[in-house]
Amino acid sequence: MRTSSGRLSRLIPYVVVLLGLTLVGGLYTAFLAPQSSATEAPDAGAQSMAVKAGRDLYLQGCSTCHGLNLEGGAGGPALQGVGASAVVFQVESGRMPLANAGPQADRKKPQYSVAEVDQLAAYIQANGGGPQLPSLDNAELTDGDLQEGGELFRTNCSSCHNFAGAGGALTYGKYAPRLEPASARVIYSAMQHGPEQMPRFSDGQLSEEEKKAVTYYVRYITRAAQPGGSDLGKFGPVPEGLVIWLVGIGALVIATLWIGNRA
Amino acid sequence: MSLLEKSADSTATWVDDRLGSSNFVRRSLNKVFPDHWSFMLGEIALYSFIILLLSGTYLAFFYDPSMREVIYNGSYIPLKGVAMSQAYATTLEISFDVRGGLIMRQIHHWAALLFMASIVVHLARVFFTGAFRKPRELNWVIGSLLLILGIAEGFAGYSLPDDLLSGTGARIAYSIAMSVPVVGTWSAFLLFGGEYPGTTIIPRLYALHIFVVPLAILGLITFHMMMIWYQKHTQFAGPGRTENNVIGSRLYPVYAAKAGGFFFLVFAVTAALGGLAQINPIWLYGPYDPSQVSAGSQPDWYVGFLDGSTRLMPNWEFRGLGHTVAFNVIVPTVVLPGILFTLLIAYPWLEARFSGDHAYHNLLDRPRNHPVRTAIGTMSLSFYVVLMIAGGNDIIAHVFKVSVNQTTYVLRAACFIVPPLVYVITKRWCLGLQRADEELVHHGIESGTIRRLPSGEFIEETVPLAVPHRIMLTGVESDAPALAGPTAHGAEGQPKGPGYGDAHEVGAGGGGKRERVRGFFMEKRSDSTTAAARPEATLPERELEKTVD
Amino acid sequence: MSTPMDPQGGRTGGAPTPGAQSTGGQTPTNEPIGGQSSFDAAGSVRDRLRSPGPQSSGGDTRGSAINEGDFEQSDSRADLHEGGRDERQLSASRTPEAAEIQEPRTEDIDPAAAKAAERLVSALFVMSFLGVVGFIVTYIFAPFQYGVEDGNQAYTPLLGIFMMMALGGVGAGAVVWAKRLMPDEEAVQERHPFGSDPDERSATGQALKEGLGQTQLPRRSLLRNTVLLGAGSLALLPVPLLFSFGPFQHKERVLRETSWRQGVRLIRQNGTPVNRDDMQLGGIESVFPDVPRGTKAADSAVLLIRMRPEELRSEQAEGWSVDGYIAYSAICTHLGCPVKLYEQQTHHLLCPCHQSTFAADRGCEVLFGPAARPLPQLAISVDDEGYFVAQGDFDQPVGPSYWERNPTSSYGRDV
Repeated sequence: MRTSSGRLSRLIPYVVVLLGLTLVGGLYTAFLAPQSSATEAPDAGAQSMAVKAGRDLYLQGCSTCHGLNLEGGAGGPALQGVGASAVVFQVESGRMPLANAGPQADRKKPQYSVAEVDQLAAYIQANGGGPQLPSLDNAELTDGDLQEGGELFRTNCSSCHNFAGAGGALTYGKYAPRLEPASARVIYSAMQHGPEQMPRFSDGQLSEEEKKAVTYYVRYITRAAQPGGSDLGKFGPVPEGLVIWLVGIGALVIATLWIGNRA
Repeated sequence: MSLLEKSADSTATWVDDRLGSSNFVRRSLNKVFPDHWSFMLGEIALYSFIILLLSGTYLAFFYDPSMREVIYNGSYIPLKGVAMSQAYATTLEISFDVRGGLIMRQIHHWAALLFMASIVVHLARVFFTGAFRKPRELNWVIGSLLLILGIAEGFAGYSLPDDLLSGTGARIAYSIAMSVPVVGTWSAFLLFGGEYPGTTIIPRLYALHIFVVPLAILGLITFHMMMIWYQKHTQFAGPGRTENNVIGSRLYPVYAAKAGGFFFLVFAVTAALGGLAQINPIWLYGPYDPSQVSAGSQPDWYVGFLDGSTRLMPNWEFRGLGHTVAFNVIVPTVVLPGILFTLLIAYPWLEARFSGDHAYHNLLDRPRNHPVRTAIGTMSLSFYVVLMIAGGNDIIAHVFKVSVNQTTYVLRAACFIVPPLVYVITKRWCLGLQRADEELVHHGIESGTIRRLPSGEFIEETVPLAVPHRIMLTGVESDAPALAGPTAHGAEGQPKGPGYGDAHEVGAGGGGKRERVRGFFMEKRSDSTTAAARPEATLPERELEKTVD
Repeated sequence: MSTPMDPQGGRTGGAPTPGAQSTGGQTPTNEPIGGQSSFDAAGSVRDRLRSPGPQSSGGDTRGSAINEGDFEQSDSRADLHEGGRDERQLSASRTPEAAEIQEPRTEDIDPAAAKAAERLVSALFVMSFLGVVGFIVTYIFAPFQYGVEDGNQAYTPLLGIFMMMALGGVGAGAVVWAKRLMPDEEAVQERHPFGSDPDERSATGQALKEGLGQTQLPRRSLLRNTVLLGAGSLALLPVPLLFSFGPFQHKERVLRETSWRQGVRLIRQNGTPVNRDDMQLGGIESVFPDVPRGTKAADSAVLLIRMRPEELRSEQAEGWSVDGYIAYSAICTHLGCPVKLYEQQTHHLLCPCHQSTFAADRGCEVLFGPAARPLPQLAISVDDEGYFVAQGDFDQPVGPSYWERNPTSSYGRDV
């Protein structure tokens, strides 16, 4: 006859290991699992029509902070001269409209469609100029020089965004974001105009072709299915260490409990 | 007799005709191994080492440890035409152009991580149960050496692919060697054949990785196993188990079947990880270039504690008298592991000296019965874990969206606050568990039956503890046991020596400093409060029968 | 202490399960046998358990009498020890004695349960076989080249799953087999004491001493000293070999110098020079010296940053920057990782390895982390064609600290 407390205490190791595994699973889905991103299908109408539509959108959604004439205000910077490129980056990635102040703007679910982004961009471009994206269709960028893109990425990008675009920490709470959810236009525009802390890579440094190559490489490594199974978030040895302890040692400790337990 | 049985018989005859080994073989087949789940943790390390040898041999057929520059022309498209070392190119070839090469690489790497993790788990088991005590101090030392060699072996292997991550690691290793006063630059130049990166470090690490270190590990493992074989395994207290015997399954067939089965289970887990969880994707890291680096550059987990200590270290450096001494480098990466590993290796002698316990021990302690040792162990582990967490501070900051600077400050404080806290909590906890055990032993298990005494008082009836359970708790087979202290059984299996019974008595004896240290070390709960309330010394036989498990 | 008995009788008498095994069948042994619930040791437990006196073994397996004879003969194999050759071993290690102390398992008393266990084990072995087949078929026939066509990335996971089946089947099968069908015994084996007996010890010590005397080493001091000299110096023999590992270089010079010289252009990794019009404000560029293999030199990597001239609050010496273009060694002064995380608004430079943070707008002073010294600044100017050139080598060794690094030397620039 076994005492119930004895039986319970024999169960405890199993329960602990199970809880650990559940916790890791939860953490994984919460933080590491890839999020799907919106697909795009842009189409711009006549230029003036777009500017007009963009103005309406601007006045409705942006002017409170950035001013009625892009002059900026207490809530946001002036937008003269930022160009269409910055609009695409900020709005298409969902960073604008801003939800709350923090060390830096976080990526959110985009509030404007790609067509609306183009209209906003046309309006800003028409009223202040600035860097403009080359005609770059999100769906179009399906080929490029992966080798060159990879070399440029490792030289210029991986030190912040990590070897596979998983992102990384910067100083004092700032961070280089994960690149997987970024559309091709957003990646290109980020290099072009250097949002927030990101350095700017002018056309004199990286030509349009080179930027496209980097963009294609980023899209490739963040999207292509990996040959070796689950990519564990592409954070390198840290998740690998977690897995060996929680899955490897966890499973084998359960096995030892099973083998060691007399029938 | 079936065919199988006949062949077993004839094999025995055939072998004995040639080797005369029947006596030895039979004794070996009959060797008894105690059954306890925690005794199998070391087996994981042994089995993952075998897996490492198997998978590593396969990899060695394809890998070329050359730093000669080549232009890649394999099948991984994003690197086609890129200049890289031959070492990196052949690792890519294993991953993409050899059938089954990638899974072997991944199994090899997962098995390496598992090897180190199981060594740590096994070491913790040996520590907390006091299995390192006389006569097993030598095996503790060998185990510690295996841990250190494992780190060296793992680091060498991690460096071989010559990818961006491993190259960064090699550079850090070079810089650490450089920082050592007086001999630093000499040793770094000897190792790397000149200024970093040179062209010799990969071939040299390869020689170490596939020959020198594995041979040393293999030799030490052999010695480790021979000692276990000769000294026989320790066991926990239990019915019939004494200092002078070992109770469990015989090697043949039961233990062999279980251990052999477990080998395949370990292999199955590494195979599953190797196939389903991608590890060290060198094609994403890219070839090593000294001007490139990736965010989140970390070593494998077993070096993580050194990376963490380096991250937490303040930027102290001595400059003067024509020399520079980088305390910010040597303290966390040379001095700290030096101290930690020395203490680790010396622990059996330290404990014997302070506790005054020089007796033979074949029965294991339950961790709660040696609160000070257990607390020292958890304290050390917590320090180690804080350092390891610090090794991933940037990943933590990024994933949990906190400031990497704040994370670092918190972990710096944690380095000094957490271990003492863990020590105190563990010790209290152990004493609490002892009290609970004492209740069980002296009062039995609460039955749930409430009875009202004529005086009006309510009491709960208790059922005396099952005998095997009680023996497990007390470590002795007498009817009126005191709770076992740290087991200090003499050679005859009789409890004796300091630490058995009430340790406060030892301390209170006033025998000077040494005695007080001993009393502190062997501290256990005083038994006197419950002694008076002890039930009948002999249990009614009927009760006993019912409760035997 | 044990008496030679008929092996077969001993086995079935003392340890019912092995007996059942050897007859090949799963005969229900619901008749517990004396000694089943006993413990080996002549210790108190058994005495206590025995105290109610001999009972019939009908139904109750506990407290039953222990037949010392059954007990001893329980392991016939072990009994052969008595006739063994190694008398010393015998005295040291007594025979293992098997004794059942557990309740019989379901498999021991219920043939159906035993059959079910056998079926489970067999199913696991069959699973293993299927895993092997799956592995071989996948290995040989499945398309495996990654990126060539979609779906090939499943090759390695499939191999892993089949391998897990193959290995796990055998492993789990063997364990279930051992747990449910092999004898559920608790065998007891005596430990042998480690120390030899005193006579043995003193005889060994004596032999050592005698041998030493025969060498005459204690008496002949000349011999003793020259043996120490000759044999001891052998340890030095391999030391010179060590020096072949690395060059005898003037380390201080090697470590102090980089490839930068006066007038050497700053080039990108692809070899193109950097013009002063190429970068915008907030831009960075990884640059290298325009010398042979300059992009491969581990100590020469430099980060060129452009900020507003008014944002540049201080630099390491006057006139080393050009209009807000400032260049620092990219090699961390802590452990040598390339420092290239530049935040264009805060002007922080962060090392990704150990989070040392430098203020690029203030001569790269250390703001945070384990690095103790600023990143050395490279003095730059612009040549006639508008391309950046170095004014000379760094004024101090780049990268991590080392013993010979002289902090007070001015390290006059090699101009």
